[in-house]
Amino acid sequence: MKKLFSIALTLIAFTLFAAEDASLQPVTNPKPILQDLQQKMSSLKSVALDFTQERHLKLFTDPLKSEGVMLIGRPDLIRWETTAPFQSILLGDQKSVAQFENNDGTWTKLKLGFPQMLKRVMEQMALMNQGKLDALTGDFTISVATNRSLAVLTLVPKDENVRGMLAALEVRMPSDFSATREVVMREPGGDFTRIIFTRERRNVTFPTGTFDQIKPLDVAAIRAAVTDAP
Amino acid sequence: MRRNFSILLLVWLAAGCATTELPPTANLPRPGPAFPADAFITQRGTLTVRGRQFTLNGYVAKSSALGLRFIMTENFGGVLADVLVNPDGQVFVLQAKPPFRTAWVKNYIAADLKCLFSDRAETNCPMQTLSPTHFLIERRSYKLDLRTVETKPGPQPAEMFREPRGGKP
Repeated sequence: MKKLFSIALTLIAFTLFAAEDASLQPVTNPKPILQDLQQKMSSLKSVALDFTQERHLKLFTDPLKSEGVMLIGRPDLIRWETTAPFQSILLGDQKSVAQFENNDGTWTKLKLGFPQMLKRVMEQMALMNQGKLDALTGDFTISVATNRSLAVLTLVPKDENVRGMLAALEVRMPSDFSATREVVMREPGGDFTRIIFTRERRNVTFPTGTFDQIKPLDVAAIRAAVTDAP
Repeated sequence: MRRNFSILLLVWLAAGCATTELPPTANLPRPGPAFPADAFITQRGTLTVRGRQFTLNGYVAKSSALGLRFIMTENFGGVLADVLVNPDGQVFVLQAKPPFRTAWVKNYIAADLKCLFSDRAETNCPMQTLSPTHFLIERRSYKLDLRTVETKPGPQPAEMFREPRGGKP
């Protein structure tokens, strides 16, 4: 019964998504929209989001799920923290990246292999969430589709080898660009990862230590400070 | 970008693998299995190669009748390896993405998988069980620290264990 209910819910969700997507119209000249987006996002000083990441593999009936928080501060601070089913923190700024793993309640800083590559990924995540799409046009072909309620930015990697692993990246937002709803990473074989963002809080003041790459502040303290902020 | 990362990691691991053709550092008896006969298990691992660390996620469908199916992903969810181990212990590498080569997946990742999950006695198993959910596999060229983060007991779908047509282990 529980399984049947879950299947029904999934079908309803997919139907709603499909209906929402069906009315999407490609924008012939996306430049003005991208400029508008960038302008709106440029006033953003910081953003805090909760996320649920769903990894959809054809092999598995149910998606592989994880959840956490993403925190972005100007000019170039990012914290991507997975809180379940394991605990891991990725921190990045203009100069460096750091990763911490929590084992049995103790945080350990990793001696990262190829930190420059992780730094690049973190930078691109920050750029996307700040609407700085100009900086991404070197690596991606960007197109936009909209309807009354939704705007979908699709980024297709220009490099053929990268396309062999990542077919496209979609950023889904309300048509007024007031929040990032979700990011979908599509793979050539049909598998995809959906990152659903919730509880977006803009222009929050993060407590000291939020982006500290030596001893990052605990996420509970950050959540409390962000929630209590006026 | 990911290609560059893959190439670098490949070079790094290849350098490590140059010394890995020797037998493992120890052939310890395998400790008793701590997993249900049929289950879906999620693990988080830290792979240490030449002092550098990489985090990986592992998803294992375990069936007492049908074998093991294993998917390994990197931090952001990209699949790096897909392995099937049939009940006879034969290994089928269904996917191996850079930086992992098919041979490396077969010789090391599949060996570690069998070491940890197989119901058969494994000899190529340099593993320590640090707690019921914490394991350390130490071979000459790498160290793998594994933690079980979730175990969902229950039968696994038979389609997951289908051997590839005409596939040879």
